[in-house]
Amino acid sequence: MSRLQTLRKLESTLENFLTKVVDSENEQMGALRSVDTLDEIARDSLKGRVVNNRLGDWFAQNRSLVETKRFDMSSLESISNLLSDIRSGLDPADAISRKLTDQIDNWREKGVIPKRKLILKMKARPVEDNLLGKFIDFLSREAKHLDSGEFEGRHLLQILDDVLKSAAAKEDTMFIHLAGSLIYYLKMNGYKMTPFVKRLREIEKERLGDSHAE
Amino acid sequence: MLNDADKAYYRALQALKEKDYRAAAGFLKNAENQFAEKPEIRILSEATELLLAVKDEIYELENETIEIEEILINGQETEFRG
Repeated sequence: MSRLQTLRKLESTLENFLTKVVDSENEQMGALRSVDTLDEIARDSLKGRVVNNRLGDWFAQNRSLVETKRFDMSSLESISNLLSDIRSGLDPADAISRKLTDQIDNWREKGVIPKRKLILKMKARPVEDNLLGKFIDFLSREAKHLDSGEFEGRHLLQILDDVLKSAAAKEDTMFIHLAGSLIYYLKMNGYKMTPFVKRLREIEKERLGDSHAE
Repeated sequence: MLNDADKAYYRALQALKEKDYRAAAGFLKNAENQFAEKPEIRILSEATELLLAVKDEIYELENETIEIEEILINGQETEFRG
């Protein structure tokens, strides 16, 4: 088989794979499309535009889907939040707006869409000064993790790769610190660490925010 | 508002459905960065990137082939006439 034929075969295999993924996500896509449309309506509503007709159309197209719970919980929560945003902008003096408001309230009362979540924020706690104790705790947990037997016989670069995956997936920030330590240690031993540093920065940015990833 | 990750994922699926792989790759990269807990999005993103690379390679190979064929045909014609 020539190089061109091999590439053509690979192209067709990849296209088939992507088509099948899209087909399997069709239902999810429908839900996202509905939420996306409602999102556009909410944005316009917050800008003070009249959205009655579009909202009416949205209800007509999605009423049965929402009422028969064809959406997942996360989509229903998004719909609920968006409808709350839109509801606050509807004009109570207008008959169509009142009808739409009633529809939203009716869904909420029946539990078709979840009630809007209220997030109460506390004032930031003062910085605790026992940093040394916390650092020692980090080091001892890191040592325990590396000594658990899980990594026996593996190269430190493989272990670093594993720790970076944990750093990306787990809540515990110990893995971010451990990855940083391993990178520095390997660098001191002459290893080229640029791709790992890049990965760690991306994880830091994702998990801790931009200001930490400097 | 719809969160950015969901929006990027939706737009990526939409682009894939329309076979606009370059746009899909961009949206997937964005979704992938925000969905650390969903490895399937990384697979989808890598597959799309790979497909784009394959398409670029095919394009280059096909254009190369056309150039070589033209040169050979012209050369043979000149010989016959001579």
